[in-house]
Amino acid sequence: MTALTTRLPRMVKPAALHTLLLYVASFAVALTLAGALVTLTGKSMSETAYALYQGSLEGGGSIGLSIDEATPLLLVALGAIVCARAGIFNIGQEGQLLMGAMAGAVVGLFMPGPGWMVMVGSLLGAALGGALWAGIPAVMYYWRGVNVVIGTLLMVFVAAQLAMYVVTQENLLQEDGEAGARSPQSNLLAEGVMLPRVGEYPDLNVTSGVFVVLAATVAIVLLLRHSTWGFRLRMLGHNPAAARRSGVRATVLGGGALLISGAFAGMAGGIMLSGTIGRFQPGMADNVGWEGLLVALVARNHPVAAIPVALFFGGLRAGGGFLASTGVPRYLVSVVTALLVMAAVFPAAYAELSKLRKRNKPVVVEG
Amino acid sequence: MSTRPSTDNGDTATAGTAATAAPAPAVELTGITKRFGTVVACDDVRLSVQRGEIHGLLGQNGAGKSTLMKILTGLVRPDSGQIMIDGGEVSISDPLVAAGLGISMVHQHFSLIGRMRVWENVTLGERGHVDRASARRLVTEVGDRYGLAVDPDRAVEDLTTGERQRVELIKCLRRDPDLLILDEPTSVLTLKESHELFSVLRRVTKEENKTVILISHKLDEILHATDQVTIMRSGAVVARRRTADTDVRELAREMVGREVSRLTAGSAVGALDALVEDIGAAKEAKEEDEEREVRLRVTDAHATGRDRRPLLRGLSLTVHAGEILGLAGVEGNGQAALGDLLSSLLELDKGTVEVCGKAVRAGRPGAMHAAGVGVVPEDRHVSGCVLDMSLAENLAMADLGEVARGSFLSPRRLRSRAERLISEFDIAAPGPDIQMRRLSGGNQQKVVLARELAADPKVLVVAQPTRGLDVGAIEYMTERIQKAAESGIAVLLISTELEEILTLAHRIAVIHRGAIVGEMTRAEVDVERLGMMMGGQAA
Amino acid sequence: MDDFELILGSAVRLAVPLMFAAIGEWIAERAGTLNISVEAMMLGGAFTAVTGAVATGSPEFGLLCGIVTGLVVALIHANLSHRLSVNTYVVGLTLNVLVLGLTSYLADKTEFFQVAKVAIPWLSSLPIVGSALFDVRWTAYLLIVLIPLAWWLVQRSRWGLEARAAGENPQSADVTGIHVNKRRRQALLICGLLGGLGGAHLAVAEVGTFNSNMTAGRGYIVLAAVIFGGWTLRGALAGCLLFGAADALRLALPALGYELNAQLLIASPYLLALAAMFFLAKSHRGPAALGAPFVRGIT
Repeated sequence: MTALTTRLPRMVKPAALHTLLLYVASFAVALTLAGALVTLTGKSMSETAYALYQGSLEGGGSIGLSIDEATPLLLVALGAIVCARAGIFNIGQEGQLLMGAMAGAVVGLFMPGPGWMVMVGSLLGAALGGALWAGIPAVMYYWRGVNVVIGTLLMVFVAAQLAMYVVTQENLLQEDGEAGARSPQSNLLAEGVMLPRVGEYPDLNVTSGVFVVLAATVAIVLLLRHSTWGFRLRMLGHNPAAARRSGVRATVLGGGALLISGAFAGMAGGIMLSGTIGRFQPGMADNVGWEGLLVALVARNHPVAAIPVALFFGGLRAGGGFLASTGVPRYLVSVVTALLVMAAVFPAAYAELSKLRKRNKPVVVEG
Repeated sequence: MSTRPSTDNGDTATAGTAATAAPAPAVELTGITKRFGTVVACDDVRLSVQRGEIHGLLGQNGAGKSTLMKILTGLVRPDSGQIMIDGGEVSISDPLVAAGLGISMVHQHFSLIGRMRVWENVTLGERGHVDRASARRLVTEVGDRYGLAVDPDRAVEDLTTGERQRVELIKCLRRDPDLLILDEPTSVLTLKESHELFSVLRRVTKEENKTVILISHKLDEILHATDQVTIMRSGAVVARRRTADTDVRELAREMVGREVSRLTAGSAVGALDALVEDIGAAKEAKEEDEEREVRLRVTDAHATGRDRRPLLRGLSLTVHAGEILGLAGVEGNGQAALGDLLSSLLELDKGTVEVCGKAVRAGRPGAMHAAGVGVVPEDRHVSGCVLDMSLAENLAMADLGEVARGSFLSPRRLRSRAERLISEFDIAAPGPDIQMRRLSGGNQQKVVLARELAADPKVLVVAQPTRGLDVGAIEYMTERIQKAAESGIAVLLISTELEEILTLAHRIAVIHRGAIVGEMTRAEVDVERLGMMMGGQAA
Repeated sequence: MDDFELILGSAVRLAVPLMFAAIGEWIAERAGTLNISVEAMMLGGAFTAVTGAVATGSPEFGLLCGIVTGLVVALIHANLSHRLSVNTYVVGLTLNVLVLGLTSYLADKTEFFQVAKVAIPWLSSLPIVGSALFDVRWTAYLLIVLIPLAWWLVQRSRWGLEARAAGENPQSADVTGIHVNKRRRQALLICGLLGGLGGAHLAVAEVGTFNSNMTAGRGYIVLAAVIFGGWTLRGALAGCLLFGAADALRLALPALGYELNAQLLIASPYLLALAAMFFLAKSHRGPAALGAPFVRGIT
């Protein structure tokens, strides 16, 4: 087997080139498809591209918008990465995010005290809300062996209904006002409870939540790579049986990873709530949970790589807001996102398959 | 439709020409070569098997036996070479093609689907309609014909290992194969079950003129059950013998490639007879160990599996300091559960575990390790190490405290600890950062052993320590285990290979159905009695 | 017609599209794919069914378009997950995002097309159940053929035996000479066919037109139904009927003057599926290798 390692460096070059070409080709196909879609529906390709550029990159304001959109995506992705390291697939961020935002709104609207304290409380409440929502499938899994994917997935739809319920009950979160004129949403948070914005419109301005997210990224990178916790988490993810033999408590560590993942998604909801939207709305998750998961995937579960990917996806989302001017439905952004995810996933999977085919056998000889 | 064996893919010729005058060999492989990367699994192999014989394929683990047979059954394509069946050249691209040619294999690791019924499993891999009634009838018929009784309607997951083996055999024989291949079939069987198996094979060859290839690394088995034997070493055929014209010594020498000491021969190649002769010499050696401190005491342990099946039923044993207690038994009788118990993976319904006189709570993660129990698990790839992490990380797994400062790891300490252990335990690796997956099986085993011994254990549990290793690695393990005992560690050796136990153990206990059914010192060993106890008969 | 009859009719109408897709999902899951792209299959099926019907003026042709679309989604999923072994949930999720975006982007059809209703003589005049079960859009009668066919296919046929083996223990199945990933791909294609048909039925048989995100998570309800039913066909279909009834109640009760929590009713399929798994964990065992990719040589 050691012979295999000495052989590797020689193999790397052509294979890497091949993979690179494959990436280029995949992205080209994805973008061509998106372009064809725009053209075939009678819209102008160049106008659409320009609108996307305007919305995401032209001038400080747009860049700020992109960063605002990227912030929750990155948080969700970080949580997903922690879970993935522990070998657990949490697919329910969309619901955890919504429940986080809801908990954040409850704290932000009803907690007494000075504005900054309520603001912090609201963010922590959001994290707790998301963690609790992820905690339900965690308990179901570690107590009764209910598949985590199924558990977290189904809880998304329960969350959506719970959110709708609380904003349609006047004694819960529904906004104040005339009986007939109320929308299914909460009151606006007080000005002092909102996360301060850094920078001035129309120049670059972003929510201060972005610093929370960057701090979280640094912490996760350090902890995953250098802490004993990160070590145990990796052990659990790679080989649960060996981890348990080495004294790792799977329930505590794995369940903890799921809770952290939920907390991050919840915190993302909290930042959307107090950073940009300002009130709780049942539709506010707006695919951020799902897309954050895809960010983690495209970044191949690496927290640092997740930053540019989140920025890219955030830029697309921001650009989508500008599409209306061209008459192109903003759904185009979802299509482009999905196509790009596929383009990002395909080459790696293909390369892996051809490597396996070549080997045609596990590394360990003789079973 | 399915009452007929599925030889209906245009290969009726094979059956038809079988009885012609000057018989071509039933199977003839020439020039078979197969590489995996740079590893040559089979190198220009020639194998010739006559119809109606039981042909032994002998070799150590890694000699290329399994690969050769996978080529014959279509699971692996050879790089070059020729396969002739009854004198006609064939190309076996797929397991279904192999089945069509009348080749059928009983795999070392079962190929059964636990949640399906016996009859469903038996009909799996065939073609044509699924006819439930006739499939069930066939299970009974084939079972009756060969003395392999099993209820066709039971779910496979509810069967014992012996019964599963029968289902595997029925699954093969039901297709009425011309060539039956068995890969290490006895590792999960009792001695009695093994003998039954061999008599079935004998009947199949004598009365039905079928051909059997028996893959094994146990000399006794080969001598006892085969007509011809082909010996492989490092991917090549090194000798062919008529079984009647050879003996243990010669086979062992050919298989290993040099003269081996009697003791190594014992555990490496399964020469039971040589070991029993040695017992006389060992008699006077260990007499005075009654007085030693009890390091490990398991009392009346009862445990149940997740599927509510009992795993341990009142198991009790003690291991003294400086002693090697060999736990013999047929696989699946609670050895794995005992190993899990001592790795803190299993909770007890009843009973206690004491290490150095102190009770340890079973099932509490890390408790056994903290109390001083080191475990080298039998399935080291599965639960002994993490193949996707580095060598240094694998050496640190259970004792992160030693390589950490606070809750952060110190890369320097991790590295220096790894370097120390690598040289102390002779681990062949380019450096501490290499991925565990890249090491050979023997070195992986060394890593696990090094890690466990580095923690200064009071008790060392080694399960199947030499399974899957080559002779060099076996000698190394044997020596290390003996040294560990000499240094005062209490060693519990769990093994299904009687030879290994006779080589190493000072005292032998036999486990059957989750309890100890008998104990004897090395000096009192009587293989027949041991075998009967392993089979569950009071002796 | 009294209220009960009305609600029963509505429940059946709401359950039928779910049942088509649930049969497919059941087959895919038994072969080892926890297929969440069934939502995309249904939504895509619904969209192209209406598009096809508008283009040709024939809702029957629309049905065919719907089926083909379901198959296309399944083809993409099957090849990515069971040829290239990309994580099946990721593929499913991406496909859902893609199809939702694509159909919403393209949705501008307002024309109304519906396949014919067929009343079965005598049976349709039975009291209470007559009109609900025997005076429906003709496509619903396909279930009468499809249900036993699917059951036979999975539980009795050679193909089904192999597909179930692929879902239970792919390694053993492989050794036995079964093409695990091929069976899984085929099962997924059947799921695509039926999911597309379910969506098409929803669009050109029940509703008659397409609007953005018209399946509104019905794919996930189908998933919940299969889980709720403990991975048996009977159970999955019962789940569909139950969830259809919950939906019908939600729509009907306010009109009848009952106050009932709509959100609880909408969430009930998911809650029931979770409860079933939680409380009946022993009997509700899914296929052992559900969701796990199979690559030969990797154990």
